[in-house]
Amino acid sequence: MLVLGFFYLPIAMLFAQSFNAAKFGGQWTGFSLRWYDELWRREDIHQAAWNTLLIATISTTASVVLGVLAAWCIHRFRTRAQRIHYGLVYAPLVVPDILMGLSLLFLFINIGLSLSLTTIIIAHTTFCMSYVALVMLGRLQDFDESMIEAARDLGANWPTIIRRILLPLLGPGLAAGALLAFTLSIDDFVITFLVSGPGNTTLPVQIFSMMRRSSPQVINALSVIFMTVTFILVILSQRLTRPQS
Amino acid sequence: MKSFLQRLPLLGLLIGTTLMLTSCAPKRDRVLHIYIWSDYLADGLVEEFAAANDCEVVIDYYDSNEVLYAKIKGGATGYDLVFPSSYFVRMMAEEGLLQRLNHNNIPNIKNIDPLFVGRVSIDKKMVHSIPYMTGATGIAYRKDEVEDFEPSWRVFERTDLAGRMTLLDDPREVLGAALMVLGHSLNTTNENHIEAAADLVIEWKQNIAQFASEANKAGIASKEFYVVQAWGGDIQQIINENGDENLVFALPEEGFPMWEDTMAIPTGADNVELAEKFINFLHDPVIAARNIEFNSYLCPNWAAYNHLSEETLENPIVIIPKELLGRGKQIQDVREHLAKYTAAWDRVKSAN
Repeated sequence: MLVLGFFYLPIAMLFAQSFNAAKFGGQWTGFSLRWYDELWRREDIHQAAWNTLLIATISTTASVVLGVLAAWCIHRFRTRAQRIHYGLVYAPLVVPDILMGLSLLFLFINIGLSLSLTTIIIAHTTFCMSYVALVMLGRLQDFDESMIEAARDLGANWPTIIRRILLPLLGPGLAAGALLAFTLSIDDFVITFLVSGPGNTTLPVQIFSMMRRSSPQVINALSVIFMTVTFILVILSQRLTRPQS
Repeated sequence: MKSFLQRLPLLGLLIGTTLMLTSCAPKRDRVLHIYIWSDYLADGLVEEFAAANDCEVVIDYYDSNEVLYAKIKGGATGYDLVFPSSYFVRMMAEEGLLQRLNHNNIPNIKNIDPLFVGRVSIDKKMVHSIPYMTGATGIAYRKDEVEDFEPSWRVFERTDLAGRMTLLDDPREVLGAALMVLGHSLNTTNENHIEAAADLVIEWKQNIAQFASEANKAGIASKEFYVVQAWGGDIQQIINENGDENLVFALPEEGFPMWEDTMAIPTGADNVELAEKFINFLHDPVIAARNIEFNSYLCPNWAAYNHLSEETLENPIVIIPKELLGRGKQIQDVREHLAKYTAAWDRVKSAN
């Protein structure tokens, strides 16, 4: 209970404060939606939100494709090379963000790729891919391959197998991986900060840069909306990873 | 499961549209990329500049000089105009991160207050940077609670106000105030001066409630504290919010620390011409006046003062009187000597 309190009390406070009419938190001077109204009128924030969604959508798509391929290879071919492959896929999960961001930044500068939305998308795909691959591996381990053999015995061709067996059984894992990747992408600050170029501010970077000079209440309102979206996605992804009864 | 499959085409459509939208985004040749502190430009200025120069302006925000430095030093190119604080300008210029400015392209430079540049600025010849905004650290006090207030850092020696005063929780600001009382430079590297300042602060410590850089704001607003060392901008925010007539900001006669944010062009800038035009634009008297009103900071631009409202002109937080301006001094990077300040500060903090 105490631990949960530590987790959720600050969030609850933030939530309440975002509806506080006072300009500087602390005292409650009445319920108000003025911060949400102000948020609505800030075009720079809209641009940042748009960037965030764009990056998340593209890098999720790319990382799902790459992650599923990686998981399939690791699962299917249990060779020495694939064990190394597994290690390589696993590594980005444990490498600290700041190191990953810095190494990507050096890479981009050395190969002469100027920092832009593209570099952020490449960076996000890199770390999201690993998460997708691991979620998919978990799914694949529960997957009974004899079903494919059975289907082929009964005369099903590959498109049918994919549509009737693979997608229904692996679909939830796929969706969970995708949602996880999406959430990680919209939440990421450290790596994005390092590899973003001019004009590519994302929401987390925007929130961070508004801390000192902006009204804290606008940030509260923005954080509440941001958090709500993340929570919904996480809940969705949990639903989909739940073992089928 | 079926529902997931049904949604797949929808997802595809979404991604497809997104890709199409980004590839068709309108592109203009002339783009000015600005990297600036958030909420630092008056509403509408950027749009006016963009319309007048037929260009697009893209703005990104940072919240500390360290972030700006990390970004530029890390090799991020493409920013045309940045707003570092003056003590960072020197370091960035030494490392070759900033261009020399061509004053011929910035005619409004003539509006900049020579007194400010001569006395307060660090880059006095405006080689790499041009002042944008400035402000001071001073003393905020409650007129209704404090009798016979003298604008001096020595107010912290008053025992009748014991427990009702705060100093900032910042070694350079607090030791700087004590150094100025003792008649030394607030950037001194002389250990004896710093230690003497620490002794004085330890004396003050007997009378203050705490060292506070955040709690001082709410404290003075709610009358918990009567006298606080504070940044002018913070006090202005409280006055804007509460309309408190008894809250007064004063600049100590011994001198006071000032900060200065500047405009500078990074070495790798793509569009130097537009950056120069924007600097010039911000020092246009009318524009500078709008920025002063918006920020409640001082843009050291003489010509702008004619366009300010009465209220702003009489506001001591924004307009620093000429006779006092010369007493403002900037806290500068003392490099390896910082250890002396840290040691003195440790002694202050642990003293009883």
